[in-house]
Amino acid sequence: MILVEDVHKRYQTDHGPGKWVLQGVSFTIPPKVNVGLVGRNGAGKSTLLRLIGGVDTPTRGRIERNCRVSWPMGYGGGTHGTLTGRQNAKFVCRIHGHEDDLADRIAYVQDFAQLGDAFDEPVRTYSSGMKSRLQFALSLAFDFDVYISDEVTAAGDAAFKKKAADAFKKLTDRAGLIMVSHGESTLRQFCSAGIWLHEGRAYWFDDIGDALKNYKESISA
Amino acid sequence: MSGTVRSASAVTLSVWKALFLREAVSRISSGRAAWAWLLFEPVVHVAFILVLFTLVRMRVVPGAEAAVWLLVGLSSFFTARNIYSRGMEAINANEALFAYRQVIPVDAVLVRAALEAFLGVIVAMLLLVGAGLFGFQVVPHDPLGALAGFAGLCLCGLGLGLILSVASELVPELGKVARLLFTPLYFLSGVMFPVSLVPPQYREILFYNPFAHGLELARGAFFPLYHAAPEASFGYLYGFALTTIFLGLSLQVRYAVRLRAQ
Repeated sequence: MILVEDVHKRYQTDHGPGKWVLQGVSFTIPPKVNVGLVGRNGAGKSTLLRLIGGVDTPTRGRIERNCRVSWPMGYGGGTHGTLTGRQNAKFVCRIHGHEDDLADRIAYVQDFAQLGDAFDEPVRTYSSGMKSRLQFALSLAFDFDVYISDEVTAAGDAAFKKKAADAFKKLTDRAGLIMVSHGESTLRQFCSAGIWLHEGRAYWFDDIGDALKNYKESISA
Repeated sequence: MSGTVRSASAVTLSVWKALFLREAVSRISSGRAAWAWLLFEPVVHVAFILVLFTLVRMRVVPGAEAAVWLLVGLSSFFTARNIYSRGMEAINANEALFAYRQVIPVDAVLVRAALEAFLGVIVAMLLLVGAGLFGFQVVPHDPLGALAGFAGLCLCGLGLGLILSVASELVPELGKVARLLFTPLYFLSGVMFPVSLVPPQYREILFYNPFAHGLELARGAFFPLYHAAPEASFGYLYGFALTTIFLGLSLQVRYAVRLRAQ
């Protein structure tokens, strides 16, 4: 279960504190519920994911994670450019405390990402598609209770997309998912509930369709 | 299925281990023969300064073998310098890994310092053994004293690294200024001349620098007949180390959120 209570967030800019991105966001995500996050560009979707993932801290309010939450998958960071894919995978295994079954997890990542020889090349030489394959495989290698996904399914070629979607579907059967995507079909495919971010506030919908409807009305208005 | 939640210390330990290995890999394998440069740098410095000594006809340091005296000073100073200068860049270099909430900025600095100290010990050992094979007397007269001096230098480096890493992230200009000051520090620490030769009134100023203390102490412990400057004190060296480490850690805690958000 993830509890978000009266969360405010603004960033420090070069000209003092910036404008509020989130203003009093509160909601509770029950276990094993898949939530889609919708909202305009700059509405604070990625910010909210980072806060839930614990990478950033709210300016005000609090977030409680009573389960194992993944890192926000898919957004730029998470891999180190000078390290190879394999070294990155090892690093992630180690910080998640999987020293014992490291070899198995590496084998899984290598198999899933299908990078071939590039797995042993530095990540900075990867194309963006290869990089997101690696990130996607990495996130699947661990058993989290909740996965946070920032547009990860959008990556890769057709074959990989299919494979990723299948893996994602399987994952949502046993764990919760919080995802941001601009693809309506992707959201409908994976999510049951929805959160609509609008003008710094969050609106919870038990049905993703309602969230999408509100979102679309807000952009056409 | 919900697995067990790891304790905070278990998470930190696994992060340190993972970061240490990651740092070691990029330190030793990045660039052409990066590991060779680790050994090469002090050796070239020793050779260069020995040539200088010969030119100015100061063939010997009173009470010590000049080559070993230089070797001890250079490898200790370089270790401390690597700790603060590379520690300063640790946060910036590991930015991508802060995407995992387990990794916090101070981890990067602490781990880098530990790695540099580790490498420094190995390099110093190799060089001393190498010098020993050439027939130099390389066994310290007071091994514990030499180690205490070396450790004090490393801790001072850690304190500076902790402070500078925060400062240079929040105010990048401070990092540039600090880098400008690194070179004078090399000369002012008495790496290549015995500080006891400096007149007392200037020596007083020189000994505000903790690295001058550490180097004199390490060398004094190495050579029984070497006249270390009387100002050198373990109290000042470790006092400086503790103060800067405390200040550095406080800064790391105070600005933890901003460092990570950079």
